[in-house]
Amino acid sequence: MSATESPDDLQVLAGEYVLGTLSAARRGALDARMKNDAALRTAVAMWEEKLSPLSELVEPMEPSAALWSRIESAVAATPTVAPPRAFVKPSSSWWNSLNLWRGLTATGFAAAAFMGVVMVTNIAQPPASGYMVVLVGPQDKSPGWIVQASTNNQQARLIPLGKMEVPGDKSLQFWTKGDDWKGPVSLGLVKPGKSLEIPLDKLPPLQPNQLFEITLEPTNGSPINRPTGPILFIGRAVKII
Amino acid sequence: MAQLSFCGSGGRDGIPPPVVLSRPPTQCIDRIPLALPASPASSDSARIDSASFDYEAALAACARGDKQALHQIYQHESRRLLGVALRIVRDRALAEDVLHDAFMNVWTKAASFDATRGSGRGWIHTLVRNQALSVVRTSGREVSTDEEAIAAIEADAVANAAPMAEAFEISADIGRLDECLHRLDMPKRNSIMLAYLDGCSHSEIATRLNAPLGSVKAWIKRGLLSLRECMA
Repeated sequence: MSATESPDDLQVLAGEYVLGTLSAARRGALDARMKNDAALRTAVAMWEEKLSPLSELVEPMEPSAALWSRIESAVAATPTVAPPRAFVKPSSSWWNSLNLWRGLTATGFAAAAFMGVVMVTNIAQPPASGYMVVLVGPQDKSPGWIVQASTNNQQARLIPLGKMEVPGDKSLQFWTKGDDWKGPVSLGLVKPGKSLEIPLDKLPPLQPNQLFEITLEPTNGSPINRPTGPILFIGRAVKII
Repeated sequence: MAQLSFCGSGGRDGIPPPVVLSRPPTQCIDRIPLALPASPASSDSARIDSASFDYEAALAACARGDKQALHQIYQHESRRLLGVALRIVRDRALAEDVLHDAFMNVWTKAASFDATRGSGRGWIHTLVRNQALSVVRTSGREVSTDEEAIAAIEADAVANAAPMAEAFEISADIGRLDECLHRLDMPKRNSIMLAYLDGCSHSEIATRLNAPLGSVKAWIKRGLLSLRECMA
């Protein structure tokens, strides 16, 4: 809350957020602020509850028969994942998805800031010299895993930042791809919530900006040695000085 | 001159029938068809239906990966949710896209629903409204927020000022909110309902009500504060 914001200002702001009169930019700013501002969250929840009876005035409309089928097939391709959550529509051309790359660029600042925190808290055992990757959900950009890679002993360590659930018939598979590689290379299956040490000695040396990602695959991993399922987490390598 | 769209003036396919009128308005707002009778029977059955359904349990089941639970939510609430989305986005196909994305959000975020902070049904409605608002606020439905254009419209509005009429009348039982809304004067009530139900921005409300933008902003601010006091 800013110094000049009165309780009434906060109520009006929260009320306008719920009414929906704010611009996209101001809505976005309030969404961000709500993560750390309990008073604003409470005010927004209060308005949501107080105004929700208005929806009773709206005439119901019958959705087309196709709508549930669309939702059902999208759901079939998406696990429910406990926080951090991620969801993307599976797409055969994800590698060429402009939005994905734009998103990753936009994530850069957040990832860098986050990395700063991680590096400070892990200062007892820093990688001697190497790379750091923050893997984030492609949609909500919430960090899910970090990768610390040492160039000295050609090892990478994948560290979970939260717990997640994976359906019984699925598994998580970890991939990487350098800029000039033909396609991503599997780094193996990953257990949710478990750290993993990965030897990198069979791969070309790590590059700045090298891509890392975790996709949802069948139990024993992708049958075609290429990602087939939705990307749950993705990030690029940043050199640690 | 740059154009300001009319929030809810629509004209495209699939515009939802506006909010139910129980009392005839004294005067319909110029250019904007606002009210058609709705079928009270369908509203009633939807309400009874939703009252007996355990949304919280269904959300908990979704969080465990139970797809059937999501389908049950859809069966109970999709008609009303589509109505809510359609009023805001004003396009049938777009409204179904909103519902699709919102149901995906219900599915992926069900684990974060906290029953101590509100009802499950309210939480689902909020996801749908937020998705619909995000679509209209980022799609540039407001063709222009050009100050000059607004000034021109305001001058026009003042010159052609007609007495304001009720934008909505409340037919369904919405309890205390009904009473509190009716304690507001008409411009404040209209502004708040146009925003919440039709997803209108300040400038769109100004256009709909033929009122200066500054007045609309003040009406909403004072209207919200009065509502809060009344409903406390």
